[in-house]
Amino acid sequence: MSTARQAQATSRALSRTIKQDRGNRVGRSLASKKSRSAWLFAGPALLVIAVVTVFPVLYSVVLSFAKVSINYDGFQIDGFTVGNYGALTQSSDWYHALAFTSLYTVITVVVELVLGMLSALVLERLGATRGWMLALLLIPWSLVTIVSAQLWKYIYDSTYGIATWGISLFTGSDPVILGEPVSSGAALMVADIWKTTPFVAIILLAGLVMIPEEQYEAAELDGAGAWKSFWRVVMPQLMPTFTIAVLFRVLQAFGVFDLPFVLTQGGPGTSTQTLAIMGYKVLFQDINIGPGAAIATSTAVIVGLGCLIFLRAFRNQARGERE
Amino acid sequence: MSRIRRRSGWRRWVNPVNIGGLVIAVLTAAPLYWLLVSSFKSPNDVAATPPEAVPFHFTLDNFVQAFVTNDLLQYMLNSVIVAVSTTVLVLALSLLAGYALTGRNIKGGTGIMTALLMLSVFPAIAVLTPIYLIERSIGLLNSYPGLIIPYVAFNLPFAIWIMRNYLQGIPSTIEEASEIDGAGPWRTVVSVILPMSKPGLFTVGVFTFTAAWSEFLMALTFNSETSFRTIPVGIALFGTQFSVPYGAIFAASVSATIPIVILVLIFRRSIVSGLTSGAVKG
Repeated sequence: MSTARQAQATSRALSRTIKQDRGNRVGRSLASKKSRSAWLFAGPALLVIAVVTVFPVLYSVVLSFAKVSINYDGFQIDGFTVGNYGALTQSSDWYHALAFTSLYTVITVVVELVLGMLSALVLERLGATRGWMLALLLIPWSLVTIVSAQLWKYIYDSTYGIATWGISLFTGSDPVILGEPVSSGAALMVADIWKTTPFVAIILLAGLVMIPEEQYEAAELDGAGAWKSFWRVVMPQLMPTFTIAVLFRVLQAFGVFDLPFVLTQGGPGTSTQTLAIMGYKVLFQDINIGPGAAIATSTAVIVGLGCLIFLRAFRNQARGERE
Repeated sequence: MSRIRRRSGWRRWVNPVNIGGLVIAVLTAAPLYWLLVSSFKSPNDVAATPPEAVPFHFTLDNFVQAFVTNDLLQYMLNSVIVAVSTTVLVLALSLLAGYALTGRNIKGGTGIMTALLMLSVFPAIAVLTPIYLIERSIGLLNSYPGLIIPYVAFNLPFAIWIMRNYLQGIPSTIEEASEIDGAGPWRTVVSVILPMSKPGLFTVGVFTFTAAWSEFLMALTFNSETSFRTIPVGIALFGTQFSVPYGAIFAASVSATIPIVILVLIFRRSIVSGLTSGAVKG
């Protein structure tokens, strides 16, 4: 359940912990004394997490290898197989969902970062109105995703949507925005970009305001123009913030469910079906537990691997320049 | 980077920065404005072409319809119960665990924290079926604990991270002083650590509340009966009848959004610091 906001703050902690744990090893003699009460304090939370998240993760992996049959009182496992994964690799729906989810992730994250960066640069230079702008930007961020999805569904409506009306002014005919695979996918991305760019902008702005004024002045003295000093001064300084924002936006976009569930239901056909939507449909509409668990587990594995590769590749940036 | 220079008259206001700011404000606010005005339009005006930018027939019918005929009050009550219970439990558990895991007192703390990080980014779809099956077998589907328990578990890893980072800023000499005064570990937490961790608790509280208020996938799967639906599920399933009652949907949406927007604006400093401080410090 990684909301972007959670993710972002988690991320800041990651880099900080790496540093702080080194310092904490000093006071160990005292530590052993207190260790028992510490476990008593941490115990309840860790127990809840273990029972409600770790155990289901393992259970899900088991189910993905199981032949499950459904009966009146529930379900039973009839044996184990790799057939669920075999079926996935044969399924064009799965490949399509994987491709669409990846495309969706890449496009939304890139656009959100570019627009977020531009917005942050503008916001940094705004004077007295910056506080108001921040407040305004927090509203889409805090909006329930389902609300945003219903709003955009209305905007795209083929008979009375304002977007449909606006496009018809130019083309002369009413487009069916959610009825075509390409425009439906684009519509989904626009809705995501509208809701999430403000969040990216706020994070990047916080990074921008921390850059010392002298560095701009130094760059200016060296004769660097705005473009050059952006790449030489701003981007290197912003890299830790930027990397973490990318990582968590990617993870969040890859698991996208709420928005397509309301806006397109994965349609038309299966053209905007993400992995999460497909997993949900297989699990709870077709009640096909084994294959559904295989979709869910493979999604989690892809996310996990992507996360590890990314962290390894950008470890230095994520930890910051000073390490 | 060139700074803005002081200019006189209209030139002082018309510059790339202000134009950019205006564009951002309009693009952000326009859909929000559309949501707000549509909730006050009559059904005819909601469906009008060309769309009415300014509603002339202001009506509260949509709100009446949402609250009276569509059980919105029940959904809001469910959401409040679930989100408040989740927040209270997460605050209590994460304060204790975050304190214990500051690394001073527990061996293997770093390993635990890394595991928590991985868990907090795990896609919810991966654990949906097992939790559904377990809740079904012990009769927790369509109940408040059926949502509160998973929400607590899934918000805790992040909450513990936040609390731990706040508490690591508190010098250990303060704890030691409290011990020398004869306070036990429990007493130290309640009377020394708790008052000092208010900013962290605010951040955790707002994030947890908004997450629980917005969560959709689990709420849809576990609590699908009308009497236990939360707001996102209620709003998502509004339009499953013959036509989509956008007016009522938007009235419900506005009603669901206002409390959270007020909360977010009150605590915006906590949110911005929660979102950013670590990433900035790198």
